[in-house]
Amino acid sequence: MLPRKRAAGEEVAGVVAGDSFLKKHRTDCLISSASEGVDNNHHPPSAMDCEANGNNPPEIDEDLHSRQLAVYGRETMRRLFASNVLISGIKGLGAEIAKNLVLAGVKSVTLHDEETVDLWDLSSNFFLSEDDVGKNRALACVQKLQELNNAVTINTLTEEFTKEHLSDFQAVVFTDISLEKAIEFDNYCYNHQPPISFIKSEIRGLFGNIFCDFGPAFTVTDVDGKDPHTAIIASISNDNPALVSCVDDERLEFQDGDLVVFSEVKGMTELNDGKPRKVKNARPYSFCLEEDATNFGPYLRGGIATQVKQPKLLKFKPLSDALRDPGDFLLSDFSKVDHPQLLHVAFQALDKFRNDFGRFPATGSEDDARELIALATSINESMGEGRLEEINEKILRHFASGSRATLNPMAAIFGGIVGQEVVKACSGKFHPLFQFFYFDSVESLPTEVLEASDLLPANSRYDAQISVFGSKLQRQLEEAKVFIVGSGALGCEFLKNLALMGVSCSRRGKLVITDDDVIEKSNLSRQFLFRDWNIGQAKSTVAASVASTINPSLHIEALQNRASPETENVFDDSFWEGLDVVINALDNINARMYVDQRCVYFQKPLLESGTLGALCNTQMVIPHLTENYGASRDPPEKQAPMCTVHSFPHNIDHCLTWARSEFEGMLEKMPTEVNNFLSNPAEYTSSMKTAGDAQARDLLERVVECLDVGRCETFQDCITWARLKVDVYFPRGFCHEYWCTILVRPKTLPEASAIHVDRSILKAENFRISVPKWANSPGEFADAVDRVLVPDFEPRKGVKIVTDEKATSLSATSIDDGAVISDLIAKLEECSRLPPRFRMNPIQFEKDDDTNYHMDLISGLANMRARNYGIPEVDKLKAKFIAGRIIPAIATSTAMATGLVCLELYKVLAGGHKVEDYRNTFANLALPMLTMSEPVPPKVIKHLDMAWTVWDRWAVHGDLTLRELLRWLKDKGLNAYSISCGTSLLYNSMFPRHKDRLDKKVVDVAKEVAKLEVPSYRRHLDVVVACEDDEDNDIDIPLVSVYFK
Amino acid sequence: MSSPSKRREMDLMKLMMSDYKVEMINDGMQEFYVDFHGPNEIIFLPFVICGCVRSVSGGVWRIRVELPDAYPYKSPSIGFVNKIYHPNVDEMSGSVCLDVINQTWSPMFDLLNVFEVFLPQLLLYPNPSDPLNGEAAALMMRDRNCYEQKVKEYCQRYAKAEDVGGPAEEKSSDDEELTEDESDLSDEAVAGNPDP
Repeated sequence: MLPRKRAAGEEVAGVVAGDSFLKKHRTDCLISSASEGVDNNHHPPSAMDCEANGNNPPEIDEDLHSRQLAVYGRETMRRLFASNVLISGIKGLGAEIAKNLVLAGVKSVTLHDEETVDLWDLSSNFFLSEDDVGKNRALACVQKLQELNNAVTINTLTEEFTKEHLSDFQAVVFTDISLEKAIEFDNYCYNHQPPISFIKSEIRGLFGNIFCDFGPAFTVTDVDGKDPHTAIIASISNDNPALVSCVDDERLEFQDGDLVVFSEVKGMTELNDGKPRKVKNARPYSFCLEEDATNFGPYLRGGIATQVKQPKLLKFKPLSDALRDPGDFLLSDFSKVDHPQLLHVAFQALDKFRNDFGRFPATGSEDDARELIALATSINESMGEGRLEEINEKILRHFASGSRATLNPMAAIFGGIVGQEVVKACSGKFHPLFQFFYFDSVESLPTEVLEASDLLPANSRYDAQISVFGSKLQRQLEEAKVFIVGSGALGCEFLKNLALMGVSCSRRGKLVITDDDVIEKSNLSRQFLFRDWNIGQAKSTVAASVASTINPSLHIEALQNRASPETENVFDDSFWEGLDVVINALDNINARMYVDQRCVYFQKPLLESGTLGALCNTQMVIPHLTENYGASRDPPEKQAPMCTVHSFPHNIDHCLTWARSEFEGMLEKMPTEVNNFLSNPAEYTSSMKTAGDAQARDLLERVVECLDVGRCETFQDCITWARLKVDVYFPRGFCHEYWCTILVRPKTLPEASAIHVDRSILKAENFRISVPKWANSPGEFADAVDRVLVPDFEPRKGVKIVTDEKATSLSATSIDDGAVISDLIAKLEECSRLPPRFRMNPIQFEKDDDTNYHMDLISGLANMRARNYGIPEVDKLKAKFIAGRIIPAIATSTAMATGLVCLELYKVLAGGHKVEDYRNTFANLALPMLTMSEPVPPKVIKHLDMAWTVWDRWAVHGDLTLRELLRWLKDKGLNAYSISCGTSLLYNSMFPRHKDRLDKKVVDVAKEVAKLEVPSYRRHLDVVVACEDDEDNDIDIPLVSVYFK
Repeated sequence: MSSPSKRREMDLMKLMMSDYKVEMINDGMQEFYVDFHGPNEIIFLPFVICGCVRSVSGGVWRIRVELPDAYPYKSPSIGFVNKIYHPNVDEMSGSVCLDVINQTWSPMFDLLNVFEVFLPQLLLYPNPSDPLNGEAAALMMRDRNCYEQKVKEYCQRYAKAEDVGGPAEEKSSDDEELTEDESDLSDEAVAGNPDP
């Protein structure tokens, strides 16, 4: 259903807009997407809606969009939500762009297409099925597009597009338009007030282009999407220029010329005025300011410097000018430096060809190719200075022959990039593409030469793909046995791509997808195969069944197993041996490492990809040609050390980490511990007595606290508990100012009060106490808080606070834990007044539910702690991103990553490609940047006359003893000192007791020591051998397989 | 560098070659115990200049070592099994707060570095301004004598050879060599690392 609120906005806008004649003209041809008689839908969107909505910002569904919000932030989302976008040409590319924008949540998308669906469209437009052939393309897509996001209005336009329509949009995208029309429309957009962002993009076979013109003066508010850099100040000199030194925990990332503002500086308070100051001489731990600080107050302590991000003004050229003088192209592949210029000419030649002949060059036609080359040559001559020395005819032949086809992987890549450009145009977030981008993937073509007869259409939905790759590769795709690991954002996109490409779409093919996760609301903003009503269902099953509707011949099996060592009975040897290729669609390194290791073992190609916000990367792992995934690594994520989190937080991450661990300790772990005690008190206490250490003492102390002082029977008890708990966390002496205010008038402090609410309610949940209605009324709640008798604030005894003046007295505490434990147990036994069967209810942290108070409590606690330490506070949303470890994710980069991988899949399944044909990519759509490179070959290790890589395995036949195995290695000039199986040591020359094993069979030792289970069908076991050569150099030898039967 | 799977074996080998007593649990390589002889000057002094380095017999601690799956890319987890009174070691769990073992770990480091350099360093130069045992840190800063007393008390009570499972069984010649090695190494490390 469409929200009513928006309809009202449109009507207001209609009045304000003023050019109402255009509207009447258009209402006739705009067809509403929702057929349920929502008449407001017929009102066309207006360019002025943006401003009309500015006064009344639309609500963002934060549960749905949390992962995207983590990339864009609220402001960008609001601007997106107010934008009307046109997409003209709804073949594969148009469909991909529409999908990405509808998922992102723009105000409206208008689909324009005048043509009807034909079989060729089915190779790339996933909204269409064979039943749609003959219908208008835009109309055929509306309903399925609407399902992706009900908050977006979807309009269609099926008659000829004229420039009068343009003023209704903030951004327009044309995917199939003649150059002449494009220039006309672009001029209109360029000169419109305010300018309309114009994007033109085409994909023709394995070639594609994008052109962006966001007007004569476009302001980018955030050029890279990175958080402003910050620095914690250690000292500032009273010099000219002032030298600012920072604590040496983290290297500074300021650059000369950056602007910074200061806050919370003590002493030299002149700097706290909020005025941006320029950085110079930026060094790893210090920088200078363009500021004379000689007369400032002397620096005392504290202070944070925060970078001020500078907006950037871009002056776009209109298409007509840019065609003649294209400027710098965005280069994606350094092995193809001359391609952008060539394609710049080629696409113009293709436009001319279509204009002259009214059709595309025929598939495989030498005559048409020659015609196109001639056109390209003459256009190149007219380019003046920027012209090419030579036209690469081979590439132009490929270009001409495949130009009619729209391929799904290309659509996915370009849909992602163009989708992101539209977001940039609407919001000013991230740096736009300036201005041309050309791309090709000729390496995806099979290595053998294709004859015209290979390319003939078979009157199937794959005809477009056949016209580029030939029928042989099409058959190979259909018969492929593929394993997709993961059915999240990447997995959904992959399934769509593979279904359209026809992969595993014959009886002999088979696609297995596995994922052990279920669908959650936050998935829906990019995992586009899922709908509201699928929430709670298994991801892989739903994704597989939706993929089957895209292409009913898809031969797919969905499993709910996590790929891990525990599921090797499901994914057993015969499963792996039967695969042609494995595609990773995972979200964590461990699973990637595991699949990589399995692929290396079974010698299967692994296509790996991943995204993080606007970033994406792909890595091809091809047996014997490339290194494996595990061979290179990113540095592990930074984790704050415990001591910093406990006692010395200096940024909000530390506070949030602390708050989350307090949450878990207080509301989950302790209640669980209490339940352990309650379920069997005798056993529990006796085990504590046996342990008799400080850890046991600590646990017991807390259990006693939970059941004695902390025990709540009514909601008022919970409030009391919460109120007193605040004193424990934020004792006097830590921060006088703050403490005094909270002490005197607690109810005037919203954060403090809110924390009581959160904690009381959650505590009530712990004790299964029903929450009274008044808990949500701040006034009444504050009264209840006031009723709590707060004891005098004598420094508390026994509270461990490092800087507490009284800390020394603690040294007198006995270190005899045993005695304390006995006392505590006695105390526990007194707590027998509990009702029988009483159990506490542990609460597990759930970040994605905004009504459960979990994030409220954590962000409240963290912010109060931040305040105590003079750390800038954050809002609940930001707190959620950090404490919930939410990984930023958007649909555009995901779609692009999968498209790039599918271009590689053509190579893998065709076979015979060299490593030079494969491409790894790293892209950042925010900059934008796309870097493609050849994969790195595996490292070759040489020893004597042997050489091997990670892909090799050594086989030794016979049921050997360890001694025989050592001798076998010795014969190769290798002295083994350690042999292991799994994580167990079978033999190590340093352990005397291992000598006894030397005459046992390797397989028996493995069964005995490593508890190895050898299935009856398996004839070998694998051992890892660490050894040295005769000069005592360590030699990294391959896995050794002992074939014992 | 050799493949990650072999790093565990090489690291273990190096430890044993350097005469550390390594006790494995059922021959598993992910988790094991290593006996660690503290440096001789065991009073944990923050500032060597302002106090005489008193010699107390070095304690013996059993150190629990866990190598995560991603070792050596991820740092090993190191914990004291028998008690130690030290500002940077958690009294309850025995876990250690040391930058080289936590934040600044690099796959170039190995277990021998941990036992020859990092742990001796930690014992010789505790850092009370970044504590895990706040009580010990506070005491160290406020009442040096009382702190030293307590360190010794803990040492005598919990860090004898019996406490790590039986009397030490090294040959005496090895012992001397080892001690020499250690002091050399820790000196070097101090020179190269002015922190904290």
